[in-house]
Amino acid sequence: MSRRGLVERYVDSVTSRTGTGSWLTRTLRKVFPTHFSFLWGELALYSFVVLLLTGTYLTFFFQGSQQELTYTGSYEPLQGQRVSAAFNSVMRISFETKGGLLIRQMHHWAALIFVGAIALHLARIYFTGAFRRPRDINWYVGLVLLLLALAAGFTGYSLPDDLLSGTGLRITNAIVLALPFVGERLAYLVFGGEWPGTDIIGRLYPVHILLIPGLIVALLSLHLALVWHQKHTQFRGPGRTEDNVVGERVWPAFAMKSIGLFFLVAGVIAAMGALFDINSIWLYGPYDAAQATSYAQPDWYIGFLEGSVRLFPPWELRIGGYMINNLVFSAVIVPGVIFGGLFAVPWLDRRLTGDLGDHHLLDRPRDTANRTAIGVASIVAVAVLFLGGAQDVIADTLDIGVGRITTVLQILILVAPPIAFVITRRSCLALQHRPPPDRTERRVPVERSAAGGYEEPEDGADWMDSGGAAPGHFDDITAPEHVRGGRR
Amino acid sequence: MSDELHRRAEFAAIAAFVVAMLGGVLAAYGYWSNHTEVWLGIGLALALGGIGVGLVSWAKYLDLDDHVVQQRERLTTTPDERDRFDEEVVHTERTLGRRPLLALLLGGSLASLVVGFIGPIGSLGPKPRGERSRTSWAAGKRLVTSDGLPIAADSTGFDQLATVFPEGAIGVDDSQVVLLRLRPEVLTERTVAGGAVDGWVAYSKICTHAGCSVGLFGVDSRPPEVIRELVCPCHQSVFDPVDAAKPVGGPAPRSLPQLPISLDGEGYLVALSDFDRPVGPAAWDEA
Repeated sequence: MSRRGLVERYVDSVTSRTGTGSWLTRTLRKVFPTHFSFLWGELALYSFVVLLLTGTYLTFFFQGSQQELTYTGSYEPLQGQRVSAAFNSVMRISFETKGGLLIRQMHHWAALIFVGAIALHLARIYFTGAFRRPRDINWYVGLVLLLLALAAGFTGYSLPDDLLSGTGLRITNAIVLALPFVGERLAYLVFGGEWPGTDIIGRLYPVHILLIPGLIVALLSLHLALVWHQKHTQFRGPGRTEDNVVGERVWPAFAMKSIGLFFLVAGVIAAMGALFDINSIWLYGPYDAAQATSYAQPDWYIGFLEGSVRLFPPWELRIGGYMINNLVFSAVIVPGVIFGGLFAVPWLDRRLTGDLGDHHLLDRPRDTANRTAIGVASIVAVAVLFLGGAQDVIADTLDIGVGRITTVLQILILVAPPIAFVITRRSCLALQHRPPPDRTERRVPVERSAAGGYEEPEDGADWMDSGGAAPGHFDDITAPEHVRGGRR
Repeated sequence: MSDELHRRAEFAAIAAFVVAMLGGVLAAYGYWSNHTEVWLGIGLALALGGIGVGLVSWAKYLDLDDHVVQQRERLTTTPDERDRFDEEVVHTERTLGRRPLLALLLGGSLASLVVGFIGPIGSLGPKPRGERSRTSWAAGKRLVTSDGLPIAADSTGFDQLATVFPEGAIGVDDSQVVLLRLRPEVLTERTVAGGAVDGWVAYSKICTHAGCSVGLFGVDSRPPEVIRELVCPCHQSVFDPVDAAKPVGGPAPRSLPQLPISLDGEGYLVALSDFDRPVGPAAWDEA
């Protein structure tokens, strides 16, 4: 054997002390299937990394305090106004700290992308049936991660103590107050007394930068460890079975692409932070109890809740001196139904299909018409709620009364999902009769003749029909140890 | 893969890495320039994005294209493994289960630990003592603007809106009031009975739906009738200021509490009492 290089010797010095030698090689050779839709989860992961890095930078400047002081910074319209220390520090990050506004805007854009990527990832998992046994366990972990992402977004959005986010906290206070049995006591515990108090920003801060990110890191590790250990799902295709994984090895192909994706995500977020203003709190001003602004839309991922709160009819129940407040329906039960439904998906799918087995091959959405139709109907319902959250903007744009828009959306939320269900289901059934994509091309072995031409041999069977591996690099590589072990 | 594609991918990777290096330099220059946020951001975007494009075109289109088949490992438990675990459970029952009293006491002591830690949680907020059903309003308190100016009965024209507070409690959240001057003849009897004077009406500014400040006042004077509306900008609840702030649209279920007002000896608006019910959104036991 030739002299071993530096990398080999240094790595060996660690692995031979920790007993991880065979583990390391196995890890580098682990196979991951590829498909563009598998990227959403990675996108979420990498935007979270950007969030951690930019967020850490912001903590060096932010002050989580509602102590009142007079604004004396460089933004003239607010000079002399009474603002909280939190608001003041965000203004300082935005105007006096070189690069601060960029990092702050990157942090906010990354948060929007983070939740968006999780939503796309969730949809991919649902529509391809990847939530089925044995991955149902990871479906639940992922949903908790989604809830944590929403909580991270909401707490972060509230920290600058500006008019818009302060109004959001005011609404949150009202929702907590409305909770049956515990409402008022709980609201006093969370907010340190009657609204607005002087504690809430200082409390949200450690929750936002320690508790929630800590939980996300812990659950994300579990989420990835499960993906790693259970091995990734794959779509049906030549050579792919329930018992194998066809794809590329972690090192170098998968890792290089994935790390490349991280840099791309970070680059796009940096460009957005540089070019697109977001949450310009100086335009809203500091929180003032006696004010609220029009066109007060929260960040996009709270839009469904905002819409539910706006569209729900003015109902409340009085039972013997107690009240089930309107907000209990619109801000507790509606999101409860949405997330309850998501958590019930694996169980419901087992009940509806009677399929209790393990699955490692993914379904194409069209092949499971009912599941796909339920998914699309649910997305339509949430989309109507989302529109409801901006009903004032819609009304203004279309120059129609807000009340009328509200009525239309209230009708749509009842009517649109069933229509979406029927259309989707029929589309799926119609699509099932089309040939699948792997049947649109024939792959046959060809032979080169002595004259230089190519021709199909007489008995040239279609590779797809045999169900075996495709020609080329597939057929001679069946086991990874065969590949690299033999190269030496 | 064709040579042409290889050449293009290699060129893309070379260009991307070069752009990335220039981006880093641009970011450094941008920091010292007068447009820090934009040039720093674009420089970083080029540096990061360049590395990303370079890595992906290298990995995806050049020599690393890789297709391998690997067998999945078994995830399910074999009967043999299951039996061995069951033996462990039986063994535990035999050993630890021999002292049921100790097990019970251990559980009890852990539970008491939880009980012991409830106290500090209670310190997070005081116990509610009815603060929410009282505000800073009281009989004889003048209505003042946020600048502290009292309001004379003839100080403004009709169909005007102002935000007022009790004298000495400016900016106190639960005492914010929306004050309107309407033509006395349009007011309903209920509104007048609730404490209106000369067309002046005062309502709690806190929306009964989710607690935002009701800040918009609109007058629609198109025939056949003039419509006056108080609107909450958060969730578009609409209240009728002419009719005791009854909800007439949107999700708010209850009317805004009316502040009974009158005039003092000097002709300024004063409150006759506090509100007759809690302002803002209702809690569980406030039916």
